[in-house]
Amino acid sequence: MPEAISAQLQQPVAAAKPRRFRALRLLVRKKVASVALVIIVAFYFVGLFAPLVAPNDPNAQPRPLAAELRNAGPSGDHWLGTDALGRDLLSRVIYAARTTVLFTIVVALTGGLIIGLVLGLLAGYRGGWVDTAIMRVGEVLSSMPTLILMLAITAAFRSRINDAAFSIADNTSLSTDDARALVQFLIIVGAALPFAWVGQARIVRSQALSIRESAFVEAAESIGANTWRVVFRHILPGTLPLFWVGLSGGMAGIALAEVSLSFLGLGIDPPAASFGTLIADGAGPRAFQNNPHLLLAPAIPVAVFFLAWNLLGDALVDILEPRSSRNH
Amino acid sequence: MGAGLTGYAIRRLFWAVPVLFAVSVIVFYILRLAPTDPVDAILGKNFYTEEQAQKLRNKYGYDEPIHIQYLKYMQNLFRGDPGLSIKHQDFSMREVVFDKMWVSFRLNIVAIVITFGLGIPVGVYAALARGTFVDPLTIGFWLLIDAIPTFVMAPLLSWLFALKFGLVSLKYEGLASPNILLPIIILSLPGVAGVARFMRASVLSVVGEDYVRTARAKGLKESTVIFTHITRNALLPMITVVGLSLPGLAAGSLFVEQAFGIPGIGRESFQAALTPDYDVVLVIVLFGSTLFVLANVLVDLVYAMIDPRVRLGAARG
Repeated sequence: MPEAISAQLQQPVAAAKPRRFRALRLLVRKKVASVALVIIVAFYFVGLFAPLVAPNDPNAQPRPLAAELRNAGPSGDHWLGTDALGRDLLSRVIYAARTTVLFTIVVALTGGLIIGLVLGLLAGYRGGWVDTAIMRVGEVLSSMPTLILMLAITAAFRSRINDAAFSIADNTSLSTDDARALVQFLIIVGAALPFAWVGQARIVRSQALSIRESAFVEAAESIGANTWRVVFRHILPGTLPLFWVGLSGGMAGIALAEVSLSFLGLGIDPPAASFGTLIADGAGPRAFQNNPHLLLAPAIPVAVFFLAWNLLGDALVDILEPRSSRNH
Repeated sequence: MGAGLTGYAIRRLFWAVPVLFAVSVIVFYILRLAPTDPVDAILGKNFYTEEQAQKLRNKYGYDEPIHIQYLKYMQNLFRGDPGLSIKHQDFSMREVVFDKMWVSFRLNIVAIVITFGLGIPVGVYAALARGTFVDPLTIGFWLLIDAIPTFVMAPLLSWLFALKFGLVSLKYEGLASPNILLPIIILSLPGVAGVARFMRASVLSVVGEDYVRTARAKGLKESTVIFTHITRNALLPMITVVGLSLPGLAAGSLFVEQAFGIPGIGRESFQAALTPDYDVVLVIVLFGSTLFVLANVLVDLVYAMIDPRVRLGAARG
């Protein structure tokens, strides 16, 4: 019996493989999309392995802090220059990438994959009042102005950052600064999550609705397959292509939420690095005139990252949604 | 058709009631249950006695159970009293919220005209250049513009036009001053990519139609074919994009208003969320949600009116 089960378990993986690689092959054949993919992979690699990639400690300040070490332009020692406290800007940009990358992964996994996919499958397969309830909640959430609510939620919970951070720092090996950054990170994740699943759930639901009516689902049900098997073995695979399209199309927006909140001082605060606070340090026409590197060093990677996600999302639409008329 | 449309509109608007009710409950509870004390905002943190705090809580009704607070608030709202701003205690909600919304609205109207005025021709141009490098280059350029966050674009263009070329001053001198051009441009640029891409796809779905081939076959000038046969028909789906951008008109861009000192609703939203100024946030969110729901109904109705192929089924909620 265990053999039979493990054989069953391996089947879908074996069946899904060629399809996944087909999409990847088609993607690589598109020049723009493959460049975008390389940029995104590089960005995530740099972000996840920031401690290995960064040339300096992002928080290390030279002592004594001589005037020529502050806001210094790019040089051999500091490729992107230094900030007002003499910290290495390249290292801070790399650690900011880590913040953004972790945020997009956490929000995409929890909001998109877990909540969005599961609720979408549930609504599409079950139908009836479950469907109505889930879609109505989605309608309510998507009708609300997102930014002001995220601002209100983050602002409201920030008053407790220190309490939470101190208690985390006391009970774990984290430093107070790290604990504070962690709490801030969790607050913005919590503020972004309610709005991150609706689009995905809608996409998955509409797919599940049409697949539910197909002959192979009826066949599976008629030979007595249980609900779980029907949903995960027969319906889920068919919803995945458009799910990935939706997810990749939403990634830039998720990342922008973190950068924007940090820019406004409601996200990740210094000394932890975030593109938002780095940009805020260099924003302002005078500041840009005096120290253009302070703005350009974080702004260029951010813009390239957003652009890459949008281009990749476009390419995935063409590949995984052949019925779409957007590119013929 | 007319009676069906009216019935459909009434059904849709009827559905909007529970949606807006849920929005009001959610936002009310989030704000009231959040661990920030508005008394801190009124009196200054740590600068008051418990007695003073109690007096204020009593004045604003914060000492009552939340559901009572909610019911009282909604009761007042339906009487036409949208509550009080904590921060601007001597001002009415009209002055705090709606006058500022009007400022943002007028800016946004001009910006949205520029966005569509640029995006539509760019989209048509890219679609007609399909197969050449011009198409991806045009769309790619606007996607890049779109990828630059507003709070980066604002200092960059401010530096370029104000400090380097000295064309404008960055001081806010009202909506009639030429200084307002720069914020309007920054407001309008990010949307161009979306409009252009939508228009491009729409044109591409039309160019293969029989009536376009017929128009060419009967020897019409290419410009006539492009303008009257292709573009006019391709504009039809744009109603969705235009309609759904309408609620944003009352929203205001926090980043642009912040960067240029424009007294609009975006900045006020930010201040209200920081304070937290409960009733101001609530009014802004409820107003925004109402506009969103109305815009959705409006898009469906306009669609049905101008395109006889669209049927508004009873099944669609």
